[in-house]
Amino acid sequence: MTLGSFLLRKTAVAILTMLTVSFLIFLAFEVNVADVAVKVLGQYSTPDQRTAWLAENGYYDPFVIRYLRWLGGFVTGDWGLSTFFRVPITSIVFPRLGASALLAGGALLVIVVFGLGLGILAGMRAGSLLDRVISVFSVITTSIPDFASAVFLSGIFVFWLGLLPGASTMISGFSLRELILPVLVLGLYSMGYLARITRASMVEVMGTHYIRTARLKGANPARIVLRHAMRNALITPVTVIMLQLPWLLSGVIVIEVFYAYKGFGSLLYDAALNQDIYLVEACAMVSVLVVVLSQILSDLIYGWLNPRISLGAKA
Amino acid sequence: MNDLETLSGAPVHPAARRMETDFNAGRMDRRSFLRALSWLGVAVGGASLMPDLAHAQATPKDGGTLRFACQIQEITDPMMSQWIEASNLYRNSLEFLTWVDADNIVRPYLAKAWTPSEDLTFWDFELDERATWSNGDAFTPEDVIFNINRWIAPDSQSSNKTAFAAISGMEKTGDHSVRITLSRPVASLPEQLYSYTCAMVHRDFTGNWPENPVGTGPFALQVIEVGRRAVFTKRPDYWGTPAHLDEIQYIDLGPDVTTHLAALSSGQVDLIYRATIAEYDLMQSLPNIQILSGKSANTVVMRMQVDQAPFDDIRVRKAIQLAANNQQMLDIAYRGKGTIASNYHVSPVQADYFPLPAMARDVEQAKALLAEAGHADGLAIELTLGNTQGKWEQDTAQVLQQNLAEAGIQVKLNVLPATQYWPIWNKVPFGLTYWAHRPLGSMTMDLAYRSGGSWNESHFASPEFDAALDKAMALVDPEARKAAMEDVERILQDSAVMVQAFWSEPMTAAAQNVQGFVLHPSDYYRMDSIWLS
Repeated sequence: MTLGSFLLRKTAVAILTMLTVSFLIFLAFEVNVADVAVKVLGQYSTPDQRTAWLAENGYYDPFVIRYLRWLGGFVTGDWGLSTFFRVPITSIVFPRLGASALLAGGALLVIVVFGLGLGILAGMRAGSLLDRVISVFSVITTSIPDFASAVFLSGIFVFWLGLLPGASTMISGFSLRELILPVLVLGLYSMGYLARITRASMVEVMGTHYIRTARLKGANPARIVLRHAMRNALITPVTVIMLQLPWLLSGVIVIEVFYAYKGFGSLLYDAALNQDIYLVEACAMVSVLVVVLSQILSDLIYGWLNPRISLGAKA
Repeated sequence: MNDLETLSGAPVHPAARRMETDFNAGRMDRRSFLRALSWLGVAVGGASLMPDLAHAQATPKDGGTLRFACQIQEITDPMMSQWIEASNLYRNSLEFLTWVDADNIVRPYLAKAWTPSEDLTFWDFELDERATWSNGDAFTPEDVIFNINRWIAPDSQSSNKTAFAAISGMEKTGDHSVRITLSRPVASLPEQLYSYTCAMVHRDFTGNWPENPVGTGPFALQVIEVGRRAVFTKRPDYWGTPAHLDEIQYIDLGPDVTTHLAALSSGQVDLIYRATIAEYDLMQSLPNIQILSGKSANTVVMRMQVDQAPFDDIRVRKAIQLAANNQQMLDIAYRGKGTIASNYHVSPVQADYFPLPAMARDVEQAKALLAEAGHADGLAIELTLGNTQGKWEQDTAQVLQQNLAEAGIQVKLNVLPATQYWPIWNKVPFGLTYWAHRPLGSMTMDLAYRSGGSWNESHFASPEFDAALDKAMALVDPEARKAAMEDVERILQDSAVMVQAFWSEPMTAAAQNVQGFVLHPSDYYRMDSIWLS
């Protein structure tokens, strides 16, 4: 299968997925129009106001018509008004997604650099002291959930040492110092996991015949690792990294709330708590889109890492 | 002999003279005397009612930006405020007819004087002629009439509708004076006018204040982003004493107070809105902050809707009260840092408090009452709560759950996020609701327990209670008022409307350089007195 037809097929599947999910989202939030009116107009709205608003906004039309109208609006960028933030949803979702992308980028950098690095180091010399130290460190960081390490790290760096700021609102613009703690917390958790996966993969690859052959040929150890072992050993870790992507972009609610970081996760949290249904719908759609796109991206990377993996077979 | 004077220059109200006699005879303490005088617009020596915002030891310094960690909620119409945080945002730009300070003494604000008739049914308010709106208009009696008409309109959804139900008419009596007529005497009218829903909006107000943020206050709204920040800047053309700060930045740090303290500790904010008992130890351990705490009538009530089964049977309600261990709730949920209460929602810090005997816990009697009510085999009920002020609300409910289990009552806790609790706070049959401080117990009684009141979440209705409350509210004399409140409190306690276990101590924290900040028992924060050293 060519790259073009692969992308075409994946896009079709992605659209089908988005359509299915969008229908389920709409069904969950807007099947009861009376509830929608209360959530949008507030509990102190009168029944007359609700009836007038429902009629004015076409809520007495058949469900399918309403769904198609909503879907059309979503596709054309009309996502409605947030009932909590009182601004157009598009004006708040994308900046928040950008903020989360910044956080995710930082965390991903920590995860990839340190996770892969430590995993490769440990896997190169399985059973050595270095391997054991790295393994213990990985187990510790993986077994501490992010909300707990957030408390520990804030306790140390904010309350005890007074070195870092305790909140990451970025109210006055970008601040690298404010980014350090949330990035560290997110990075630590996934880094240990990635290091363990990479180590296992590396140990397996280092024991294969072609690596032994390269060694017998007298190849430089660095060349063996970088040229022969790493590319094959990376397939599993890449899966782990790609699985982190949607989580980092839209699922880091706890950390964003803990550090008052105004990203996509805290937006979803506020939307859900305040029953801001249009915003929840938009966030849910964006989250699904992120997952779908990251899947396509991971398939492309698999193909690049190992040409034997057929694009068609993965599609 | 004291030198009593009215702010308006009118003759001193006869009730003030009677109180003066009691005070001179040692039958009344000075604070109660000053408070009650302030309702009547009377000062001792002409000075005690003048605004005294500073409370500061050093000379205030002008300038600087104060960063205040606080939830940024949507603000549209001040009379519809349900959260004090939101009302504090308005408070920078919108002012009130009167101001009640942290000692609960009513002081002049937009109204520089007030004079009640002898029977307390006519109140003449004299407006400060200097007061102007930020758009240049003068503050006039038309503004006052416009605001109060909105509050008490038949279709008003504001809690003011109940609080000012006694207002039967208003009349402009001069360029700067207005007369309010009441259908029944209400001695504390000036005090009630500082309720957080009573900020004065311009007479052309159309319903969404941030769209056209005209105000008489010392700060002007620059930015408000819900869930993120709000910025107010000092108004150079303010009609009164200018504020010290150049700018106030309110920053939304989310719901976790630990994050607020982390930001305070690391110098990202200068002041946090409120801390709870859960953060007490952490606050104590921070060297670079000042902790502020005090006494107030803040509390949670676990109230039962008296018209909903099984709470429509007073024996069930009484059994719940008898099985509850109020002391244990205070000791465990609030670590003893509060004052024990006894299920009638009037606090010792409120001027009209009459101490009733504490209810003794009696599980056996509770069981007997339940059996009598047809629940000999036990009873299953659900208590809904939202942790609107913190996790201690849930801790309180959990202690009650254990207490009631001893009497055979199984309580299922339905814990909702705060934002989901508020829409249903007055709808659930058995709910735990936080009630903020009011200077007078009668103000809480009027809002929460008067028949048909807009915030009467328990649906309690008793003509006898209403009449007793009317009687108490008509009295100026603090001692007479306290005595009258006995009936009000007793009727409420005997009717077993709620389990109200304790009064919580309010607490908050600020950076060391924040000066002039006084913990107001109602959390009503005027920012014009604050300065940074």
